[in-house]
Amino acid sequence: MTEQLRVLAELRARLLWRRFTARGGIAEGVASVVLLAIAVPVGLGFAVAVGFGAYQAVKAGGGLRTDVGASAIFFGLWQTWTAVSLTLNDREGLDLRRFLVFPIPPGRVYAMGLLTGILGDPMGVVWGAMLGGVFVGAAIARPGAWLVLFLLLLAAFAVATIIFVALLQELLSAVLSTRRIREWAMLGSVGASVGILALLLWSADRPFRAAVDFLPTLRIVQWLAWPAAFPAAAARALFAGRAAESLPWIAGLVAGTAFTGWIAYRIALAQALGAGASGEGSGGGPGTVGLGWRGGRVGALLEKEVLYLFRQPLARVDAFLAPVIMAVVALKVEPRIPVEAGEVVRALPLFGAALYAHLLLQAFWLNAFGWERGGARAFFLAPMDLSWVLRAKALVLYGYSLLLFLASAAVLASVGKGTAPAWAFAGALVLHAAAAPWLLLAGYLVSILRPKAASFAIQRSSAVSTFSGLIGMGIISAVMGIFAVPALLAVRSESPSALVAGWGILGLLGAWAFRKAIPREARLLADRRDEFLPAVCGDDA
Amino acid sequence: MDEPFVPLAVETRALTRIFDGKPAVSRLDLRVPVGAFYGFLGPNGAGKSTTMKMLTGLLRPTSGEARVLGADLSRDGLSVKGRIGVVPDGLALFERLSGAEMLRIQGQLYGLERKVSALRAGELLEAMELAGEGGKLVQDYSHGMKKKLALACALIHGPELLFLDEPFEGIDAVAVSGIRRMLQDLVSRRSLTIFLTSHVLEVVERLVTHVGIIHKGELIAQGSLEEVRATGSLEETFIRLVGDERPAGPGLSWLGARELEA
Repeated sequence: MTEQLRVLAELRARLLWRRFTARGGIAEGVASVVLLAIAVPVGLGFAVAVGFGAYQAVKAGGGLRTDVGASAIFFGLWQTWTAVSLTLNDREGLDLRRFLVFPIPPGRVYAMGLLTGILGDPMGVVWGAMLGGVFVGAAIARPGAWLVLFLLLLAAFAVATIIFVALLQELLSAVLSTRRIREWAMLGSVGASVGILALLLWSADRPFRAAVDFLPTLRIVQWLAWPAAFPAAAARALFAGRAAESLPWIAGLVAGTAFTGWIAYRIALAQALGAGASGEGSGGGPGTVGLGWRGGRVGALLEKEVLYLFRQPLARVDAFLAPVIMAVVALKVEPRIPVEAGEVVRALPLFGAALYAHLLLQAFWLNAFGWERGGARAFFLAPMDLSWVLRAKALVLYGYSLLLFLASAAVLASVGKGTAPAWAFAGALVLHAAAAPWLLLAGYLVSILRPKAASFAIQRSSAVSTFSGLIGMGIISAVMGIFAVPALLAVRSESPSALVAGWGILGLLGAWAFRKAIPREARLLADRRDEFLPAVCGDDA
Repeated sequence: MDEPFVPLAVETRALTRIFDGKPAVSRLDLRVPVGAFYGFLGPNGAGKSTTMKMLTGLLRPTSGEARVLGADLSRDGLSVKGRIGVVPDGLALFERLSGAEMLRIQGQLYGLERKVSALRAGELLEAMELAGEGGKLVQDYSHGMKKKLALACALIHGPELLFLDEPFEGIDAVAVSGIRRMLQDLVSRRSLTIFLTSHVLEVVERLVTHVGIIHKGELIAQGSLEEVRATGSLEETFIRLVGDERPAGPGLSWLGARELEA
């Protein structure tokens, strides 16, 4: 058993080493170091904040301040950890399917995959630092033997959260297992949100506000978030000096973790065993599918891109994620914006949603060809200009991003207090459209220069290389910086029209740059086919 | 006496590709007549796939020239691509499309109208015995089915020249027989030129009219099947030209040791 684990660890280490020693590996290595360099101070910053919170909660020694402090620490950490893990999706696990042929218990492979995933995740530094901060804060407030139990609780909380995230990832992948259901579920999710937005725009008295009144009742189902609820209860007892009272909660946490891990593993195993024989969508005759688009090559390219995007698990998860995150923003951020802050400031959540819709899809513009695998050869074999491939990708991705934005806006309008002024929706639409050419142009350049064969399974392997991810952060920061200039000017002058006009000009500039640069990027793609095709068609996912 | 003029579907002059300082293909002079069923043979790693990639525009030659259907590939790449069909090594299939979608979209990418492409897709699925599988995602196809689908994709726009990289590799005897029959039918019914790489010599011998043999990146024989194999079989000629370079020696003595010990 130890030998098998050693071999698995060696395999992961070798694959990681190959990534750094292969062509472009130095850049990957530098990117990993830079990401760590960013993660460490960020983690330390948050660690100080939560450490101070833990210190105060322990010092209070019971009562409301202790209860609120403990809940805030664990629910806050758990929420952020889960959301970031599902959004960034950079867990590098072992593909269970590939290891079924070996005489190694699949459960062990799965556990090993989770473990190596955590070790390779730069965000792990942030979570580790924050947990460390909580511990140090509590230890300074009241040193003693109870800290051993608290340390155990923190470790159990970390494992529980990791396994909970794994379960969510497996569920998202497995529950939506039938192609048709996945496609319709995604369409339904986005469509319903857009429908709500349309109704809200037509309705003056905001009939959906009533739905918000039910939200307080949701508090009773907090136990669904058991990886946070159990440790919060245990911490409340520990902080108040009642160590024995915490033990049932810790036991509950461990039992829940074991049960969750077992379910996640069984789902993963069932998927691995069933892969390749799903038979999904069978029975349709030739030519029965199709979106009814006419036209030749361009229509075919657009249709292919739409089908691929709809069948991409990551895109489907984004369709569910965007409204959820916006609901959190609507409930937690919007109410804190004072009315006297001005119209532009009150519109910021909506503007954020416009940019977030692009950010969610960054894997698709930073590694635009990653999921084509062998199919990428078809682009080079077909008698067409590659610039049309890029244009089709851009158009479809923009369309999908727009749907995500509309869904997000609908959630903001229906769940939130509606602080944004009426003109803000038009402004956000302009911002969304204006940012697109800049992001897509820069992203496709990265896609061509740093292609990576990507996996379709959302819970395994990352969608973009570390280096591309880092460049993506730079692109997003730069675009946000440029688009922030009109916003700052508008905040100063209290002139929304200047804001929209500024973004409009930037958008027109972007469209002009896109039109000019896409043929050049296509030529670059053609020139780099010797390096590009092995990277995309390879089995390196 | 001058050689009679033979129109060539593929003609290369000193075609070379170097990887990391080592030539994978060296100064290749290929001549594939129009209407020929050309078998491009060679042991593993000889340079067959590299050559095919260069002839189909998937790989840039380091030096030399390649003319396909009379056009210079480096200058008229797009027009050439519209006239050839390719089944590359590793296939060129979008695994998340259904078989029917893949075929129809492929046809449209080659300039066919949607209706025409859908019609041909149905006919090709029928011909490839995949008619009941058209709605299934390509990822759920068996290897043999994928090969057949890839062949159908290469044919949908009615190419004049078909490039097939190892079409018989990794598929069962029934599928081999089916593909072989289809290729024979294609060549006999219309003036299609086929350029095929393979190392399944017994199948190739029954199919091809012309043969080229590549070894360590160099063309060591080329001509009609009769010219190349002379008096023996193609396999005998191939082994004589390429040579059996496996080292002699006992080796692997540990195999079966467990039973002996028991």
